Amino acid sequence: MASNQPPVTTPAQPYGEIYDLGYKHYEGKRLGRTHAIKALIIYSMKRGLGIKKKWTAKLIPIGLYVTAFVPAFIVAGIKAFVPTDDFVYSYHDLNDFISLTLLIYAAALGPEMLSDDRRENVLSLYFSRSLTRLDYLLAKVAAMGILLGTIAFGPPLLLFLANVLLADNPISYFFNHVEDIGRILAYGVLVSAYLGSISLAIAAFTNRKGVAGAIFIGGLLMVTGIANALFDALDAAVGDYIILFDPFDLIIALSAWVWGEPTNMRIADLPGYWYGFAVLVTIALAGTLMYRRYLADD
Amino acid sequence: MTAGGNAIVTTSALTKQYGSVRALDSVDLSIPRASAIGLLGANGAGKSTLIKLLLGLISPTSGEATMLGMDIRTEVIRIRERVGYMPESDCLPYDVTAADFVGHMAEMSGLPGRAARQRANDVLYQVGVDEERYRLIRGFSTGMKQRVKLAQAIVHDPELVFFDEPTNGMDPQGREDMLNLINRIHRQIGMTIVVSSHLLEDIERVCDYVVMVDRGKLVVNGRIDDLMRGGGDVIVRIDGDPQALVDRLAARRLSARLSGPEVIVTAPTGGVDDAVYDAIRDAVVELDAPLRLLRGRERSLEDVYIQTVGGVDAEEAVAANGE
Repeated sequence: MASNQPPVTTPAQPYGEIYDLGYKHYEGKRLGRTHAIKALIIYSMKRGLGIKKKWTAKLIPIGLYVTAFVPAFIVAGIKAFVPTDDFVYSYHDLNDFISLTLLIYAAALGPEMLSDDRRENVLSLYFSRSLTRLDYLLAKVAAMGILLGTIAFGPPLLLFLANVLLADNPISYFFNHVEDIGRILAYGVLVSAYLGSISLAIAAFTNRKGVAGAIFIGGLLMVTGIANALFDALDAAVGDYIILFDPFDLIIALSAWVWGEPTNMRIADLPGYWYGFAVLVTIALAGTLMYRRYLADD
Repeated sequence: MTAGGNAIVTTSALTKQYGSVRALDSVDLSIPRASAIGLLGANGAGKSTLIKLLLGLISPTSGEATMLGMDIRTEVIRIRERVGYMPESDCLPYDVTAADFVGHMAEMSGLPGRAARQRANDVLYQVGVDEERYRLIRGFSTGMKQRVKLAQAIVHDPELVFFDEPTNGMDPQGREDMLNLINRIHRQIGMTIVVSSHLLEDIERVCDYVVMVDRGKLVVNGRIDDLMRGGGDVIVRIDGDPQALVDRLAARRLSARLSGPEVIVTAPTGGVDDAVYDAIRDAVVELDAPLRLLRGRERSLEDVYIQTVGGVDAEEAVAANGE
């Protein structure tokens, strides 16, 4: 059947064309060293959290965050729904619980921060960019500190928030207990720096993540065992100071000192500032090791 | 090589000592802007040490150097913003996509996040990593990894790019592609490039200038055209004892060697001139042997290398080139 409709024709002009513009020179801003350091911190944190990595890499961080935050939620829930004066759960109790989570997180994060870059030779690329070796190291320490800090600060701050909201007079409770925030931050910074620096110092000397993590956990367990054995073998005057070399007990003692609570520990009960001093000396030693490892030829 | 005020790299008595080993010995160098420089030498000759010194990856024992007019000791961060580096060794993380990694490296050179991601995509496309850029680097072939390494070296649009053994471990096709890419970066994009290699053919293919180092010392530097100007070796064949001819030539202070039935007369430092041909003619006449062949050979970079470096190192490099 004939049709009066005009035949469909190809348009004379194409709707569009694709051009290969070739290489384009960059004429925008160059933000320099500070930007590079910030970018490295963010990139390292993402890797530490397993972001943009396969799902198995996300398991440990997710599991640890759940483990760390669940007790604070449970305590807040109990306080909210079962009001009783008999239930006492202090920040020190919470720190006691999350210290193990922090320990495992530090064991996983330290190697994640440093070992891969060493094993895969990425350092030669970083060090030919707009940052020094010290910048690189500081960025890694910062990324590690921030991630550990989320666990060291997060649950106690959540508990503090619950205490404020569940108080009869939240505003007066907040102002009466505002120094608790300082204690939470002080303990969080110290314990994150302590565990983080040890883990990073170990990771700086091996390319294998598994080996670094195992040395960290195994080393802490071994030191703890030796410290306990020495405490039993030595007389009390010397034995009391053994706690300063016992990582597990030192963290708990540090929390007790910060919160003004008794340590309830078997091996010693020194003046609190000794614990702070021991933590700072350990951080300095770990920092020196990392410095010598990375900055020897800068 | 004289570059005067146009130099993009200058060194003066640059020295690097590792214990008792002098990896680089008092090197004076000047690299002109917008050129393609081949850094040639056997393995361990000091090529990588020179590159690492210029990038500030290691500190010089003594001497001075500038890049882009800035001192490598005091302005290394500013220099690195404008310089790219493609190392010889494997240097890519496995569990990151090519796009993420190259973008991250752009940020490490100071580019803002959005611009870094945009340029990473553009540059990966330019080097031939298109759809694959969203795949983890773990699954890449050697050739693809080399392209990603190249992309990270130019993603921040540097003025000068160092390539350290860029074709190492690549198959012939991959090597061809890589040399074409490097050529393009210099000829079309206009970046100054320094290609470090022990492969003479790679240098000859890509570079205008050559810098030869041997045991930490700078032995030759200049335009390749200039170095290859003048005659190369001379090939001689006679009816008679070729060894006798070699001996006669030695008496006339000409270096010659046997190559089957032929005698190869090595070109003197000043090149082959009439005096060389006269000496060969006279030696043949003295032997009273019929002359069957007397032919000059084109001087190649290989000839220059053998004449200046000589010995085992040169033979190794030439052998590697032939592989």
